[in-house]
Amino acid sequence: MAAHRCSRLAYRLLLRTYPREFRERFAADLQADFARLLERDGTLAAWRRLFVDLARSVPLTAGDALAEGERRARIAGPILPRGESIMRSVLFDLRHALRGLFKAPGFTIVTTATLALAIGANTATFSLVNAVLLRPIGYHDPGRLMLVFEAIPESGIERFGVAPADYVDLAAYQQSFESMAAYRTRSVELSGGADPEQVAVAEVSTSLFDVLGVGAGLGRAFRAGDPDDEAAVAVISDRLSQRRFGGRSPIGERLVLDRRAFTVVGVMPPQFEFPRRGAALNAEPADVWLPLVFNPFERQARGMMYNNSVIARLRPGVSPAQAAADTSALARRIQDNYPASLRSAFTLTIGVTPLADEITGPVRRPLLILLGAVGIVLLVACANLASIVLSRSVARQRDIGVRAALGAGRLRLFQILLLEGLLLAAAGGAVGLVLGYWVLRGIPHVVATAVPGATDIAVDWRVLVFTSAVSLGCAVLFALVPLTGGLGRNLHDLLREGSGRATGSRTEQRVQAVMVVTSVALAFVLLVSAGLLMRSFTRLIAADAGPPADNVLTLEVRLPPGGYRDAARIRSFYGSLHERLLASAGVRAASLSTDLPLDGDGERRAFTPEQGMDSGQRPALAVTWVHGDFFSTFGIPLVRGRYFSTDEQRSNRSVAIVSARLADRYWPGEDPVGKRFKWGLADSPAPWQVVIGVAGDMVDGPPGSEPPTHIYVPYAEIPDAQLAAPLAGLFRRFIIAVRAETNPRALAGIVRGAVAALDPALATAQVRPFTELRHDRVAPQRFSTIVLSAFAGGTLLLAAIGLYGTLAFSISQRRREIGVRVALGAQRRDVLRSVVGRGMMLVAGGLVLGALGALGATRLLAAVLFDTRPHDPLVFGTVPIVLGAVGLIACYLPARGAADVDPLIAMRVD
Amino acid sequence: MPAPLTPAVFHILLALADGPLHGYAIMVAVEETSGLAMGPGTIYGTIERLEAAGYVKETPAAEGDRRRRFVLQPAGRKALQAEAKRLTALAALVRARRLVPRES
Repeated sequence: MAAHRCSRLAYRLLLRTYPREFRERFAADLQADFARLLERDGTLAAWRRLFVDLARSVPLTAGDALAEGERRARIAGPILPRGESIMRSVLFDLRHALRGLFKAPGFTIVTTATLALAIGANTATFSLVNAVLLRPIGYHDPGRLMLVFEAIPESGIERFGVAPADYVDLAAYQQSFESMAAYRTRSVELSGGADPEQVAVAEVSTSLFDVLGVGAGLGRAFRAGDPDDEAAVAVISDRLSQRRFGGRSPIGERLVLDRRAFTVVGVMPPQFEFPRRGAALNAEPADVWLPLVFNPFERQARGMMYNNSVIARLRPGVSPAQAAADTSALARRIQDNYPASLRSAFTLTIGVTPLADEITGPVRRPLLILLGAVGIVLLVACANLASIVLSRSVARQRDIGVRAALGAGRLRLFQILLLEGLLLAAAGGAVGLVLGYWVLRGIPHVVATAVPGATDIAVDWRVLVFTSAVSLGCAVLFALVPLTGGLGRNLHDLLREGSGRATGSRTEQRVQAVMVVTSVALAFVLLVSAGLLMRSFTRLIAADAGPPADNVLTLEVRLPPGGYRDAARIRSFYGSLHERLLASAGVRAASLSTDLPLDGDGERRAFTPEQGMDSGQRPALAVTWVHGDFFSTFGIPLVRGRYFSTDEQRSNRSVAIVSARLADRYWPGEDPVGKRFKWGLADSPAPWQVVIGVAGDMVDGPPGSEPPTHIYVPYAEIPDAQLAAPLAGLFRRFIIAVRAETNPRALAGIVRGAVAALDPALATAQVRPFTELRHDRVAPQRFSTIVLSAFAGGTLLLAAIGLYGTLAFSISQRRREIGVRVALGAQRRDVLRSVVGRGMMLVAGGLVLGALGALGATRLLAAVLFDTRPHDPLVFGTVPIVLGAVGLIACYLPARGAADVDPLIAMRVD
Repeated sequence: MPAPLTPAVFHILLALADGPLHGYAIMVAVEETSGLAMGPGTIYGTIERLEAAGYVKETPAAEGDRRRRFVLQPAGRKALQAEAKRLTALAALVRARRLVPRES
């Protein structure tokens, strides 16, 4: 009868509510009796009886089982009865686990050290991610802060800053932002008091602090519409306040900037940083904030001075996309205010980008890649530890079996192993946290140059939570993975295998095999990633070598408008300085220029060649004004023509040297010497300039960028009015370069002395060998490459150790079997082949999986690779060879041990 | 004087007084002597406790029957007798108070 069958099935399920012992003994009888009741009384009556019965008998039998467990526990020791308070059982097991770990110091030390290294690497990487990407940037509601930029698609430059006149229009017309501010940074001379120094200054609209939503820590910040606009007032950073004024309040004190006095009205809070590093333009964090006032010329000038950054706060409810639509519509309206000639010449566009994206954009992906890589290291470490724990648990099977026999439930065994794992992970995590923090603090310069924005790395709650979570995850992984096989087996197996002849069951071997294959596969992925980065990096530094200026020292000096009001004074300064430098001992060549090779901080201008201009193209090009032996100082080769003559350096002869690329582009196949061009667009009134020489191409932008078309002109060609303009940051900053016989650093004192001889109040800044610039500018890429390679190397080592350990363990378990084989005539070679073969099978599996994984994973790398395809055949071809070779060694070492097994001894082991 | 037995224990011991029985038979016997509708869980649960107390013992199953049979032990018999005595005394007490009409 179907109904009865259902009833019987239901009853069988209900039997599970009885304690196990009771069930095991009486289940058959209970079911038989129930069946008879069903037949005698019918379904309804039988069930009515049953429910009362269950309600009475389950608690009854459970109580008995508990009492029985207690009785056994008194006999058996380290098994607590079920139903004991969890806390007590945890404490009990904790003590037990600790004792076990102390009894196996080798295991404990190896495990803790592995974990500490892996977790330390994770902590360090996460701290970087936290400092750059996660920690709030210190402004109110930063998600609504946007940067506004202008661009002229025809120029070939992705984006500019905002021109003053355009900013005025934009601020008047825009609807999307509740507030908006312009700013620009420069460095100025800070004098009065101790040595003159150059400090980073940001000139900011008085509305800036309202836009950021940050107030002064002391005194007051500027406010929109303040009369501050016209006053010589300054807000300074806490850092500068400490440095210049010590404990005193600087409010009301005088600050002499570029030989002009400003009154300090406020000090910002210590953590405040503006602008943040990382943006493309005006990104030097300032120590002094001054009110930005556009002069009447700036307010009207169109089509130039795109060098102001604009930050704006979105109105509530306005999305970035809406704001972008708004500004791009405004661009057309603003261009209508341009003079007619400029209206038709190009299209002005205005865009917005979230501030957070702008400052973290370039480092986000490399950091996340490193975080992913270090996660893989941890996974492999866990796989290794899982293998070790598994080996250990095989050795401890009897112990576990006895516990199970004495009534320790699965959950309890689970708890014991988990606690052991937690203890190890906690120790590893604690050491790792200290290690990670210490590593980062130990290399502050490396971190600062390699990860722009990682200014203040601290262990905050996020890092603590991360490290704890990672440690906990590790514990679960390596302590419990081994159980997946072991727990399913029954007591009899455990007890039997514990008898000392255990070979490790199939399940364990399978789990260990999975661990090895996984480790090899993950190592493959990391090795390929590291290989790609290395290849990309070597190509990058080759492409980015710059001029062969190995013995060149560079520094900069700014001529404050206060002391250098007229052009004659400035010309006399650079002329005399050059002569003095050339006359100094140890100086082989010297020059002054408006910008450095490589560093893309120079001027960009529009130009028109006399012939050869294809229509529609009005590219900006890089312009460098030079004085002295610029090309020979930096070692930039002269391809054709000649250098500037002394006469051309003294007075304006309208001559120029162009880069090879420019010559090829506009005058292909022709001799560029003697060709003419002029600044500005076709209708520009500027005079024609004559090309007298062609110089080699030089990168002048971000690392890995193409060399721009470049024009070099003598300082002598700068009109007096422009040279002496008080705000002309471009011409007031002189880059001084000297080429030394040998060590460029030795010249620092001589150059400073030459500058001081002309003007003792001038501050020099950025004194460094050119090689340092070259080295530092690829620091982020170098950092990623080295760190990822270290991770890959570590993973390779871990995978090899895992393979070695697994094979060594299986051999130790198979000693008898191997002994028998040898006794039966197996050759040393056969044994070797059998062990190595088994190991290499695992390696091969890992290689296949790893190759598949790497093909997918390297796509994520594509964006950070320079001139290297993510599926680079050389890398994909080399990695399996390296891995295979390492794998072979890891297999051979234990195999040799197996081959040396003495059958007499092996068979006696029991 | 030992503690009074619960009705379940008393009736199970009583059922076993005549000889070894298996669970189902005990259940039926208890039903007959007391009208108590006990379920198998209660029967076996109680038997387990009685075993622990040494009152009953499992005995080899009868031929052709795989069900467990239980047999009363001397201690169990003693407890049953003590309980019977107690009940008799109680019954006497009840009668003496004339709470129950004398059987005729």
